[in-house]
Amino acid sequence: MKCEEVKNSLPLFLYGELSFDEEENVELHIDECADCRSALEREKTLFRSLDAVEAFPAPELLDDCRADLRRNLARAQPQRSGFWDKIREGFTIHFHFAPGFAQPVGALAMLIVGFTAARMLPNSFLGSFHAAGVMDPVMSRVRYVEPTTAGKIRITVDETRQRILSGDLEDRDIQRLLLSAAKDPADDGLRVESVDLLRNRPQSTEVRSALLYALEHDPNAGVRLKALDGLKDFADDPETSKTLTHVLLADDNPGVRTRVIDLLIPHHSGAMVGVLQELMAKEDNDYIRMRCQQVLHDMRASVETY
Amino acid sequence: MAQAAVQMDESELIRSAQRGDQEAFEQLVRLYDQNVLRLAYNLLRSTEDAHDIYQEAFLRVHKNLHNFRFDCSFHTWLYRIVTNLCLDALRKRRVRREESSVVETSEGVVNRMDTVEEERAHGDPQRQLLSNQLGEKIREVLSSLTPRERTVFEMRHYQGLRLKTIGEILGTSEEAAKNCLFRATQKMRAGLGDFV
Repeated sequence: MKCEEVKNSLPLFLYGELSFDEEENVELHIDECADCRSALEREKTLFRSLDAVEAFPAPELLDDCRADLRRNLARAQPQRSGFWDKIREGFTIHFHFAPGFAQPVGALAMLIVGFTAARMLPNSFLGSFHAAGVMDPVMSRVRYVEPTTAGKIRITVDETRQRILSGDLEDRDIQRLLLSAAKDPADDGLRVESVDLLRNRPQSTEVRSALLYALEHDPNAGVRLKALDGLKDFADDPETSKTLTHVLLADDNPGVRTRVIDLLIPHHSGAMVGVLQELMAKEDNDYIRMRCQQVLHDMRASVETY
Repeated sequence: MAQAAVQMDESELIRSAQRGDQEAFEQLVRLYDQNVLRLAYNLLRSTEDAHDIYQEAFLRVHKNLHNFRFDCSFHTWLYRIVTNLCLDALRKRRVRREESSVVETSEGVVNRMDTVEEERAHGDPQRQLLSNQLGEKIREVLSSLTPRERTVFEMRHYQGLRLKTIGEILGTSEEAAKNCLFRATQKMRAGLGDFV
């Protein structure tokens, strides 16, 4: 390797961006060449000089950037209509589900949310909302309290605003939200309603995965039964069949197990013999035991394992 | 500070933020925003410009996060946005020839090179060798780099990113990023060679 070549490679050498062989060649050359060793030292000095002029933003700038970003994000949310328009929207969304009583319930709920927000937010905070002409129902809670480097206090307030979306199950946004709601661990009722809606679209792989997940993991038997209903036409699908088999052996709810065995039996195969025999060893529900026995008998398999 | 939220890993944070979870988005921002601000500030040497880049970058991330498909790392995707904004700002500045040696600090506006010398005076003996002239030269050389050379240099030298990653961020090959860095270091050596 020639000296000029080595000197040109020195920056990349210091950055560790040479290939293994190139680095090896540079090191070998430097060991034997005093001129290039000096060049390497000069390069290192240059690097240190450059290091020294790195500019660091003041900590206050980061604080300001974060605070402004929160404000900008809040502003970037879609502009909302007025408070009474919201109530009218509330009527619309609830009408689909329960035309008899949902309108007054929706209106009452919005009023409660608005009233709660007023109770939770400091007056000055509310004042700015009034001044801005924004009166959306807002739920707030203090999320973080932290001192800033400037000796002030920064309080981060979580605000939850209601937003009403409407559309059919083919709508990607609606489907995405339903899929998310179907896994909401905090609200059994929301999961039941969401899975109930999703079960009408098991053709979608994403929906079917959500139904399988609910069937296998949801702690609420009502949700699991809804999911099962959505999967009824896919009992011969290998992935669905595998989950059904697992649920048959593991689910603690006899209603769920009964429904599963009814779905699995029309599609049973020789591979199910072991599963049914295992089930017979521990199942205490008479109907399920009877169904198992029938199938095992039809398959000329023993009822028990020895 | 009581933080109720359980720390999630990055992909979980992204997915939650994609579902509209603002807290997850904020956590995601905090994973990267210090480095984003440092890059923008170091490249543009202006509090106001760095602030604007920060805002615009994270607003774009927020707006387009639903389109993020994990085809590349989130870091690469974010830096692609940030560097594009910085490149645009540098190009505009190049046209307007607004480059200035003054920077804004918490103590007010100071000459960047005065700071360099002050650091030298309190640093090790090697650093003390640097003079006003060297500082001025560094400024000149850095501002003579093209926006792309400057950006590649900043990301490699100050952010410590590998050339492969820089190539991905800038939508080019590792080799092209390497050539760009090579040109930048050649220019710096040519400009500063007599001072070090």
